[in-house]
Amino acid sequence: MSETYDFLFKFLVIGNAGTGKSCLLHQFIEKKFKDDSNHTIGVEFGSKIINVVNKFVKLQIWDTAGQERFRSVTRSYYRGAAGALLVYDITSRETYNALTNWLTDARMLASQNIVIILCGNKKDLDADREVTFLEASRFAQENELMFLETSALTGENVEEAFVQCARKILNKIESGELDPERMGSGIQYGDAALRQLRSPRRAQAESVQECGC
Amino acid sequence: VVAGIRGHLTTWGNVRTLDVKTAGTVTGEPVSMRETAVSQVGAGPLDALPLVDGVLPRDQVAGNPQPGNDAMKAEFASWENPGVGKCPSSCCTELEMKIPNGDVNCGEFQIHREGTFTGEALDKGVRVGNRGYLVINRRTISGTSSIPVYSVREPWNAVERHQEVRSTSDLGPETISKLSIANVNEEVSNQEIDVDFSDGVGVARPRTLRTNPGQAVSLSCDSTPLNDENAGYFVDDGDMDVIMNSLELGRRQSAPDKLQESERADPEPSAEQTVIKRHGFADFLTRSLFSWKPKESNSTAAASGWRLFGKIPPKDNSGDSRIPQQPEPVRRKNLDFEPLSTTGLILEDRPANLPAKSEEEAQRHRQQYNEMMAGAKRRELKEAQRKKKQMKERHRQEESIARAVVVWNTEILPNWENMRNTRRVRELWWQGLPPSIRGKIWSLAIGNELNITPELYEIFLSRAKEKWRSFNETGSLSENEDCGVDKESSLDLIKLDIFRTFPSLYIFQKGGPYHDVLHNVLGAYTCYRPDVGYVQGMSFIAAVLILNLEEADAFIAFANLLNKPCQMAFFRVDHDLMLKYFAAFEVFFEENLPKLFQHFHSNSLTPDFYLIDWIFTLYSKPLPLDVACRVWDLFCRDGEEALFRTALGILRLYQDVLLQMDFIHSAQFLSRLPQNTPAHTLFTCIANTHMLSNNRRWNQVFSALMKDGPKEADKTGSPALRS
Repeated sequence: MSETYDFLFKFLVIGNAGTGKSCLLHQFIEKKFKDDSNHTIGVEFGSKIINVVNKFVKLQIWDTAGQERFRSVTRSYYRGAAGALLVYDITSRETYNALTNWLTDARMLASQNIVIILCGNKKDLDADREVTFLEASRFAQENELMFLETSALTGENVEEAFVQCARKILNKIESGELDPERMGSGIQYGDAALRQLRSPRRAQAESVQECGC
Repeated sequence: VVAGIRGHLTTWGNVRTLDVKTAGTVTGEPVSMRETAVSQVGAGPLDALPLVDGVLPRDQVAGNPQPGNDAMKAEFASWENPGVGKCPSSCCTELEMKIPNGDVNCGEFQIHREGTFTGEALDKGVRVGNRGYLVINRRTISGTSSIPVYSVREPWNAVERHQEVRSTSDLGPETISKLSIANVNEEVSNQEIDVDFSDGVGVARPRTLRTNPGQAVSLSCDSTPLNDENAGYFVDDGDMDVIMNSLELGRRQSAPDKLQESERADPEPSAEQTVIKRHGFADFLTRSLFSWKPKESNSTAAASGWRLFGKIPPKDNSGDSRIPQQPEPVRRKNLDFEPLSTTGLILEDRPANLPAKSEEEAQRHRQQYNEMMAGAKRRELKEAQRKKKQMKERHRQEESIARAVVVWNTEILPNWENMRNTRRVRELWWQGLPPSIRGKIWSLAIGNELNITPELYEIFLSRAKEKWRSFNETGSLSENEDCGVDKESSLDLIKLDIFRTFPSLYIFQKGGPYHDVLHNVLGAYTCYRPDVGYVQGMSFIAAVLILNLEEADAFIAFANLLNKPCQMAFFRVDHDLMLKYFAAFEVFFEENLPKLFQHFHSNSLTPDFYLIDWIFTLYSKPLPLDVACRVWDLFCRDGEEALFRTALGILRLYQDVLLQMDFIHSAQFLSRLPQNTPAHTLFTCIANTHMLSNNRRWNQVFSALMKDGPKEADKTGSPALRS
């Protein structure tokens, strides 16, 4: 499996059950809507290489279960995530109200510099909207999140959400704000030669998050 | 000039292709290809044919003005026989119809018994390649006394066909006789096509193109120049007269208007024909299909218009002495596995008006033909054997199931407690429970420790219903998500998840037969065990039970099943316990699949990534339903151990692939197993998985881990769950 990429980012997709996390992921990877999707139990995975500002970035996406009951399981998967899609459903205020909890978890458990993009999914169901664009973008601003309204059904803004998040992480790396070498950054160099530069000690320390792909 | 003699350039496959196209091309709307579309030309098992009854997608049949229509050929390429050579001496012509833009755009064409299609495709022009049927094989014709018929439809037998043919020739013009080109190659079962091109005077829009598969091939057109010149097509066979008669008949018949003008000999067409006449295809042809022909509705059209056997400019009547020599022996082979004869096609000489084949070429063609035949025969035989074997296997399976049902019902069930653990019963059990008694055995095996009665179920169900009512009245109660057991939001979630439970079955979704049942069972459970509530994954378990049991029994089994220690640990998401299970699993994992275990270990792929999904749904989500049910059988027989054994079976089954994968790909693979996981190979893998480690069985290993306390779990358990 020879894949060439410059960086590997660990991404999370989090948010309440039924907000369309798996569908967003499916749309992002397969470019189509999964209309017979099941609920995720535990965690599912996806990966895709995207090209952002002339860099090939491999996204390793952890699509987590949304039900509160699984929160204790999924929390353990946050560690070392470089980016996250925090998803709510624009037609369900309940999913929007839960955002603070998700955000706290993500900030606490993932890497400190985790870049989070807020996704108001099901944009296509505008008639049933319960959360306005304005309030959500205000929430995003207050919490230093990027924000997009997406539709896993039509594909609108789905790729953009992932790409924008990745771009911001790249910017942070370039500006030195993020150090890929730092443990638990959720970032790996893709190039084998570069990877060898990393101290062996660190490589050993990497466990779950650094997957060795 | 697009049409012409192409036969020797045409591979068999293309002949086939064009044959299909004949129906397809004219068509704008999907056309049912029931009759037209043919059987295999040279060889190949018939059942390999595409569904002739099907409907061609629009984009496949849409008219393509290009004569070559390579796309179309490609479209049907799969129908062709691989390795089939060229058809050497055959001579095919094409019927070329062109519709100038806008000239015909809303005509409706009808093909008898084949479907209706509109003229949209004709906007740009339509091409009818008639190589499939409007072809005559000289030798074949000469050898027979009756009219050779080529047809695109399969006659049911030769006799019938001949009758059809004869009747066609005997019929007066008032019948639906058509121009018929017939091939009487006896061994060849032909298909027949009819195209009625009736003219309609003064009607600008052609409406019907009728292809009557029940008739001998006939293609008629007012402008078909079937005069004496045509004799040239047929060389000097005695039968040509007959053929020509038939052709002429067809021509007259289908072009009554013309005949009225030119010959005035034909009786009035029947009422039906009048209809056809009004919206005749011939009109369509005369008026617009053939751009080279100006709108002539007089007798000259008959002489110089559309060429049946090739597109020939009107002026150049002499040029149309090319009759397709390439019959399309579209034949259905019956049950013996003799490849279909293509003698009539490939071994023929070229028509007299073409240069003869060289000896070398003829030789080569013969050889190719023989190779084709041999290959086809082999394939058909092989296919037949495979089919037979399959049938036999299925039959055997059905029989063994039937036998098993008897054994279960008469011997085991009446004596359940004594027999359930006997070797014989366990072996029978391993084969998979017969679906008709599966639910019963599951119920017995799961037991009813909780002593739930159907009445109790009703009580909890009515409580659940009460809750839903108040929930609906007061709106969402589920604001406080963090209240430990989120039982209120369970209500929302149940609704959401029912929709997502076996979505491909369409029986649990809203409006589906089991939607309410599933809703009831899950709702009643949240009232019965509010401390557990609804947890995702439960909907799958309940659904599988509902598929095998009555509602109340399903609930009883559901509640008792979830009450088992392993299920309780998982559905309450009890970390410590789950880690114990994972640790025990890893013991057997390392024992059974050390290589993969190491590989996973070095990739930090811990069991929780895949086991959580598998255990929560008892494999009903990751595995196909029938396979999952067999896993359930095993689970009912052996308890929780079977779940982990199955996991190892899956890992064993896919070990080779997984060893090639890195973390993310393995994780992806395991969270979405291939849809076609075959039961027998999986169960072979499960059978090869031995739940023994250092002579300790699963229970011993697990209880040892339990005694060890969290230390042990931390060491071997999933780091992911160490939070």
